[in-house]
Amino acid sequence: MSIEIRNIQKSFGNFQALSNINLDVPTGELVALLGPSGCGKTSLLRIIAGLESPDVGTILFHGDDATHRDVRERQVGFVFQHYALFRHMTVFENVAFGLRVRPKSTRPTEGEIHRRVRELLDLVQLDWLSDRYPPQLSGGQRQRIALARALAVEPKVLLLDEPFGALDAKVRKDLRRWLRRLHDELHITSVFVTHDQEEALEVADRIVVMNHGKIEQIGTPQEVYDHPSTPFVYQFLGNVNLFHSRVESGKAFIGNLPLEVDAKDESNNSTAFAYVRPHDIDIQKESNIQSAFEAKVIYIHSLGPLVRLELQREDQSDIIESELTRERFLQLDLSIGSKVYVQPKNIRVFLNETA
Amino acid sequence: MANTSPSQMTLYRAKVARNRATSEPAWIKYSLISLALLFLSLFLFVPLVAVFTEALRKGLDTYVTALSDPDAFSAIKLTLVAALISVPLNLVFGIAASWAIAKFEFKGKNILITLIDLPFAVSPVVAGLIYVLIFGLQGWFGSWLSDHNIKVIFAIPGIVLATVFVTFPFVARELIPLMQAQGKEEEEAGLVLGASGWQILWRITLPNVKWGLLYGVILTNARAMGEFGAVSVVSGHIRGMTNTMPLHVEILYNEYNYAAAFAVASLLAFLALVTLALKSFVEWQSARVPTQIEDIS
Repeated sequence: MSIEIRNIQKSFGNFQALSNINLDVPTGELVALLGPSGCGKTSLLRIIAGLESPDVGTILFHGDDATHRDVRERQVGFVFQHYALFRHMTVFENVAFGLRVRPKSTRPTEGEIHRRVRELLDLVQLDWLSDRYPPQLSGGQRQRIALARALAVEPKVLLLDEPFGALDAKVRKDLRRWLRRLHDELHITSVFVTHDQEEALEVADRIVVMNHGKIEQIGTPQEVYDHPSTPFVYQFLGNVNLFHSRVESGKAFIGNLPLEVDAKDESNNSTAFAYVRPHDIDIQKESNIQSAFEAKVIYIHSLGPLVRLELQREDQSDIIESELTRERFLQLDLSIGSKVYVQPKNIRVFLNETA
Repeated sequence: MANTSPSQMTLYRAKVARNRATSEPAWIKYSLISLALLFLSLFLFVPLVAVFTEALRKGLDTYVTALSDPDAFSAIKLTLVAALISVPLNLVFGIAASWAIAKFEFKGKNILITLIDLPFAVSPVVAGLIYVLIFGLQGWFGSWLSDHNIKVIFAIPGIVLATVFVTFPFVARELIPLMQAQGKEEEEAGLVLGASGWQILWRITLPNVKWGLLYGVILTNARAMGEFGAVSVVSGHIRGMTNTMPLHVEILYNEYNYAAAFAVASLLAFLALVTLALKSFVEWQSARVPTQIEDIS
């Protein structure tokens, strides 16, 4: 089932949680709502579920207006951040709950309920836990039971609020791969909320980057990572170096390096921000035409295949980060205090719109 | 400690060492403990023993006679009736109020919370007087009630009303913090899974608070049976008609009938002890059952 969100607004008291949200989720896609805490991503998820109602705007499920549809009739599955398993019920009864509360006319028989629950517990590979109570389970197990419970009612849309937020790093990695595989098997339209960019980039078909109640960018992981459309997205997805600059006669500068700006007349002398990812900062021992400025190596972190350097600019007090392959690092023969020339590549310049 | 493993032994030693590091010298410990024990026995244990010894001083026969006196019997019956009516009423009210306060946002929530606490703040005598002012012969509805031949004050309805009033907060006060601590997530999960309001209440909310609820009921019951002030004002002290156990004790005592007074008092004390035992059982049971979700964040 597809979800269309049109001009949604929501405020809590004086706090504008969501403003002017427009989003399409096609059938069968796995979409991540990504953003820092307080950006409105959970509010949006809860509005889709029907647990909150928007102040303005409409939500369409499969083309039909569902804005005022009761939660119970939306056919959504919701996995809560802290799982919200029913603590006084066994795992089996937790999963069976959605089937047992159906009205008599549509409720499956006891045998059918048993069969369905077994099937779901098999799917999440936890059939051996069916008689346990939620407090006796580990975080990862609770997460999978919560998912099985949500799937029991055969939802048309699956919504997950920070599904891996409360788990430790190792379990989190395993579980998100598992979730991706599960989605590829079931093809349920799914939306999940996360503040972890790595998680969003790895799992989602498409990422919706949010900040301050607005959508900053929508795109595939590749698109948002390689072509961030706003400074916020640049900073939020991965490490980045920020260079402040002034626009002079249509060019911005990083050190001595001129950058083309598609500048209009009035943008002359306005401030510009240039973003460069650490792995796009190359280093030379000799100055040349592409060098931006001279710097000194002040820190070397060489763990794994990449070597991370911190460089102190000679002409300014800014510290910038660079990532080199181990091979390149050895070839340059660097040590702390070495003088180097910095060559940024793939520079993205944003003009300061408020100036 | 025969089969204690070495690691357990180390743990135990570490625990002892830590205790030494954080605790007071022995003389302070023991003098504080004995002070507390002395205080408890002087003010709680000795009076309790006194009630039972005084009650049985003139022998078992006098004791049994005092309790089988028709007036005493009717007082016991009235006390149980008042408790039997007020406990279920406050049970239903307490669940409704705490469910509303803990799980929903609405205007006037703070006023409701304050209202629930009112019976704690108001002196029971004042509570009784309020009912006399409203339902008494000279009160607001007095003439209407007497026209329709309904007696509230100096009759059983008045006693039940006063008891309901003073026991009003116990269940709600017990449930509100518990429900607030448990949050709304489980209820929301039930809602998304298609459960109706009643199904959520019966299958999710109530099972989660059952021990707190039982605890609140026990406290309500204890207060309902022991209430003196409010009931005294509205009862009229008509022997064999509107006397509850605490009132009956007072009358017997004022008549210098000490043996009978203490006999009825001992029965009240016994009911209190049973209540305490039940309360301890509930506390032990609720600590044993894994109802608390471990903090996972």
